[in-house]
Amino acid sequence: MSNRIENRIQTLKERREKALVTYMTAGLPDMEGCKALIKAQEEAGTDILELGIPFSDPVADGPVIQAASYKAIQQGTNLKKVFALMGEIRNEGVEIPIIFMMYYNTILHYGIKEFVRECVQCGVDGVIVPDLPLEEQKELRKALEIEKAPILIQLVSPVSTDRIPKILEGARGFVYCVSSMGVTGQSGNFHQEIINYLSNVKAVSKIPVMMGFGICYASDVAPMKDIIDGAIVGSHFINLMEEHKYSIEAAKEYCQTFKRELNAL
Amino acid sequence: MKKMDKRYYGEFGGQYVSESLMNTLAEIEMAFEEAIKDEAFKREYHYYLEQYVGRKTPLYYAQRLSEAYGTKIYLKREDLNHTGAHKINNVVGQILLARRMGKKKVIAETGAGQHGVATATIAALFGMECTIYMGAEDMERQKLNVLRMQLLGAKVERVTSGSNTLKDATNEAIRVWAKTAEDTFYVIGSAVGPYPYPKMVKEFQRVISKESKQQIMEVEGKLPDVVLACVGGGSNSIGMFAEFIEEPTIHLIGVEAAGLGIETGKHASAMALGKSGTLHGMKSYLLQDEDGNIQLAHSISAGLDYPGVGPEHAYLRDTKRVEYVSITDVEAMEALQELCKLEGIIPAIESAHAIAYAKKQAQKMKKEDIMIICLSGRGDKDVHTVADYLEGKGYMN
Repeated sequence: MSNRIENRIQTLKERREKALVTYMTAGLPDMEGCKALIKAQEEAGTDILELGIPFSDPVADGPVIQAASYKAIQQGTNLKKVFALMGEIRNEGVEIPIIFMMYYNTILHYGIKEFVRECVQCGVDGVIVPDLPLEEQKELRKALEIEKAPILIQLVSPVSTDRIPKILEGARGFVYCVSSMGVTGQSGNFHQEIINYLSNVKAVSKIPVMMGFGICYASDVAPMKDIIDGAIVGSHFINLMEEHKYSIEAAKEYCQTFKRELNAL
Repeated sequence: MKKMDKRYYGEFGGQYVSESLMNTLAEIEMAFEEAIKDEAFKREYHYYLEQYVGRKTPLYYAQRLSEAYGTKIYLKREDLNHTGAHKINNVVGQILLARRMGKKKVIAETGAGQHGVATATIAALFGMECTIYMGAEDMERQKLNVLRMQLLGAKVERVTSGSNTLKDATNEAIRVWAKTAEDTFYVIGSAVGPYPYPKMVKEFQRVISKESKQQIMEVEGKLPDVVLACVGGGSNSIGMFAEFIEEPTIHLIGVEAAGLGIETGKHASAMALGKSGTLHGMKSYLLQDEDGNIQLAHSISAGLDYPGVGPEHAYLRDTKRVEYVSITDVEAMEALQELCKLEGIIPAIESAHAIAYAKKQAQKMKKEDIMIICLSGRGDKDVHTVADYLEGKGYMN
């Protein structure tokens, strides 16, 4: 049994490459446009894609993703429609690993078991739930014990400290390191002890370490290039898409450049 | 087993927050558990409640109301506290705790502004930097409270995300907290949020029922038959119930806001429909739509205008220890006027919901039975809303 995220990570390891992970809000600019963007990113060489399921109260997100989320909801995007989209693109041969980034209430409302079943059916490879810390994961983890279930990606933050080994126990796929405290999309000003923190995570992690929150360009991760295995771009990518009216070319250009520069660091 | 987990009330409660807040919550829990066992802390807390807030508040026998409704009614006068509501009991406790933890700044969310004013007040008293998050819409309709907070030296941050109201102000406060928890304490105003907040709020509001119990024993020589309080997030009610929960003969009633009526969908009764979910760090009953997005609550009372309810209330509902009912805008406004005319007390519209249900409940009671109602706040803040309502202009909430 294999999972697309783990397969991709294996490939990256063989090629000695770092991963580019992008985040986009599902349903933007609309369902068709979203589909086209996913395909374009696969072609451009994005390694893993996070698809944000919009929620009314995104407490772990900064203003950019909040606004995107709000817009997507206004346009009628919901989990059911995103599952349908997933089913379609998998049928059309899209194989890029896809992770749902979503809030726990959306899963609870859908029904935990039904949610996992639907993920398996539609080819969702991973789930990130920013408001579900280790202590609250029991129920979801239990439901994820079925075959081909998506991986629950674990998040750690600069203040996780003594919690890190516990969180990484049994973690699969990759570990998502929040680079600064707080919410997504704060640029530049990385947490002062970020290098130490990333090194600590790397030292105990058996799986790749990816850094996210506040990254715009490959050069942003240059200082930690020897520690991390990949970079996650969220708010900046959404901003870019808004600016370029969700142009397929702009998306491709950005992902190609980022990936090239990331591996040249 | 979930049931053994101290962070939970049955299946409700928990800590549904980002990883970056988990150590913060652990620190708060440790500091809180230490503090409430520490005599010096307790002395200080009670000192400020007495000398600054003005406790204890009277348990007033409302004679004319009792005659009108047909049973003995006592009002627990939380409206007589400094800043005009029960909110300050909890704020004194939490800010003393923040100080004990060495925090220099406090933040808080506010809807109508009552919790914001209470937080700004105590922050001023202790010389702490204070920022209040408030929805743009609420700032518009509660201008006076914005001014009060500013006078008290607080910074009021306008929140313009989502629906621009209390739930969004809470989201924003949580975001800021996640970034600044190292030197900032988040003062939550209601019995909601991640553990240990619901427990802290209950402990710091417990004084309401502690005093009431003693006072009713002094006057009547026995416990009340019915204890009533309004429920938004549920802070005055959990404080009013705390000492009575273990007294099985007492009928406890929580009154939610039915707004324009439960059937219209425009209401704030999180427990009426019984759909649970996670929001603001807790699992509890929530108003939500068919996609699991949180719905806007609706009530003429800004203080009850919240789409969720504290997790312990959800548990007390399911175990049937407390009966939860609801009162419409119209019923609350009638009760408000009745209390003004019969007792010379202008209650907050929140508290008027409890009065309105008391009238219904009294019909099932005997003349010599005893009912205590928590009069959680005074109504000065609401006179504009009342004026608009009476002129038939509708109201802004």
